[in-house]
Amino acid sequence: MALDFDKSILGKVFDETAFPPITKEEILEFAAALGETNPLYTDETVARQGHHKELVAPPTFVTKLRPNKFSPENLPKFGKVGFDGGRDLEVFAQVRPGDSLTMLSTIHEIYEKTGRTGSMYFIVIRNEVKNQKNEKVAVIDHRIMQR
Amino acid sequence: MSTVYFEEIEEGDEITPIDMPLSKDQVRRYAKTANMYVARFTDDEGAKAEGLPGMIAPGVMSMGLLARMISDWNQAAEIKRIGTTFRSPVLPDRNIHLRGAVTQKHDADHTVECDLWMENDDGERWVIGTATVAVPSKA
Amino acid sequence: MARILDLHLHSEASDDSRAPVEAYLKWLARKREERPLEGLVLTEHRQFNKSGEYRDLEDKYGMLILKASEIETEYGHILVYGVNDDILKRYDFKNVRLPAQELITEVARMGGIAMPCHPGRPTVGLIEHYQTKPPLEGVIGVEALNGGSKKGENERVAELLDQYGYHAFGGSDSHLVSFIGLCATEFDRDINSMEDLVDTLRTGGYRPVDFRPQRQQVDSSAS
Repeated sequence: MALDFDKSILGKVFDETAFPPITKEEILEFAAALGETNPLYTDETVARQGHHKELVAPPTFVTKLRPNKFSPENLPKFGKVGFDGGRDLEVFAQVRPGDSLTMLSTIHEIYEKTGRTGSMYFIVIRNEVKNQKNEKVAVIDHRIMQR
Repeated sequence: MSTVYFEEIEEGDEITPIDMPLSKDQVRRYAKTANMYVARFTDDEGAKAEGLPGMIAPGVMSMGLLARMISDWNQAAEIKRIGTTFRSPVLPDRNIHLRGAVTQKHDADHTVECDLWMENDDGERWVIGTATVAVPSKA
Repeated sequence: MARILDLHLHSEASDDSRAPVEAYLKWLARKREERPLEGLVLTEHRQFNKSGEYRDLEDKYGMLILKASEIETEYGHILVYGVNDDILKRYDFKNVRLPAQELITEVARMGGIAMPCHPGRPTVGLIEHYQTKPPLEGVIGVEALNGGSKKGENERVAELLDQYGYHAFGGSDSHLVSFIGLCATEFDRDINSMEDLVDTLRTGGYRPVDFRPQRQQVDSSAS
């Protein structure tokens, strides 16, 4: 199938989601689910003595935020099934209890590649996460593979 | 758990490996907290209906585990950037081996580049990636 | 002057690698005993990195650095050595469906050599395609040992070599610094240039070498 799609969808924000304030319990549960033992993420008392001055979330915490829309309605469909082809995360600020995070999603890139399991189409969806101080918290690029 | 300073790190250093069994319950626990409680990450039959060999660990769980390996190695490490490629589905009820190595040191900002990967018992790499990690300096 | 070269690897010029060439060289200098390589061939995905200049690094690290490409065809991925302007004018390396048979013949005619890589891998390797399509004419050798392969892939290749009499070579297929040189190729004669490499790949006198560490049995239940 030729790589044919409406290029105007690139870079356009297709979703903006505001998340309820992050709780301490969420942070602790996420850390526990990964087996983290670093007190920065698991022990409030110790974390308060550390350089973040409070409990903070492990770095991949932002990848658990589910936006209202994962992809736009007019996302080209090059195949039947979508798979996770990879993830790139850039971290700019810590996630702290009480933070109100907002996520903006765009289609960053679309390209074609043959790989291990066949001819594949890669869509890169970019999520930009900001906090209530309008600080950039993280940028997550998802490579979605379709075939 | 210890702090490893920039000056103590050498290019070529191994990041303390983690060898562990990955259970289905662990995967389900992660899926729940990550708002991903769907068939492919929680139920063998459901996953097979999607063409998978069985329930799999979410890609970001593997990324999270590799990030944890860095945190276990150096409690003062701050990941600035981490990227992972999911080469094969990670099936639970198996051993996973998390591995890493410091490949470059940047004097200008006290960051190190690390290779990261997850392999199975046969040495096949299910997930590979890299991270840029800021570490404290004695200077 | 090189006898052992990694014939398949990707630097930051490839879209799925962040490995700087110098980082590869430093790693090899550190691992010289376990991975005694003397040269690298950069096989970037879907491109020939014309602007890549490695003369200074060659001198600094005493390693031979050559440039080649990994391209994609309807028979899977193929490594092209001896890329020149004629070949680049004729074929757009960004195309993920280049015509394998025509390319193999034409590249040879234009002074290079095209050799299938990871032939045992599903979909992007030759073996699977040979099950439904006629075998390619003019294949001199294949990458019998690939550092990124799964259990069984390299073994499937042994049958292919038997059946078609292909030469065998090895490469790490490294995308990460620390995976460099885990698999490589040992040559019977010195390779000093891409001309030497193409010539030797055509005629023979080389074999894959495996520098991967032996698998240790790890007791995961203890941790």
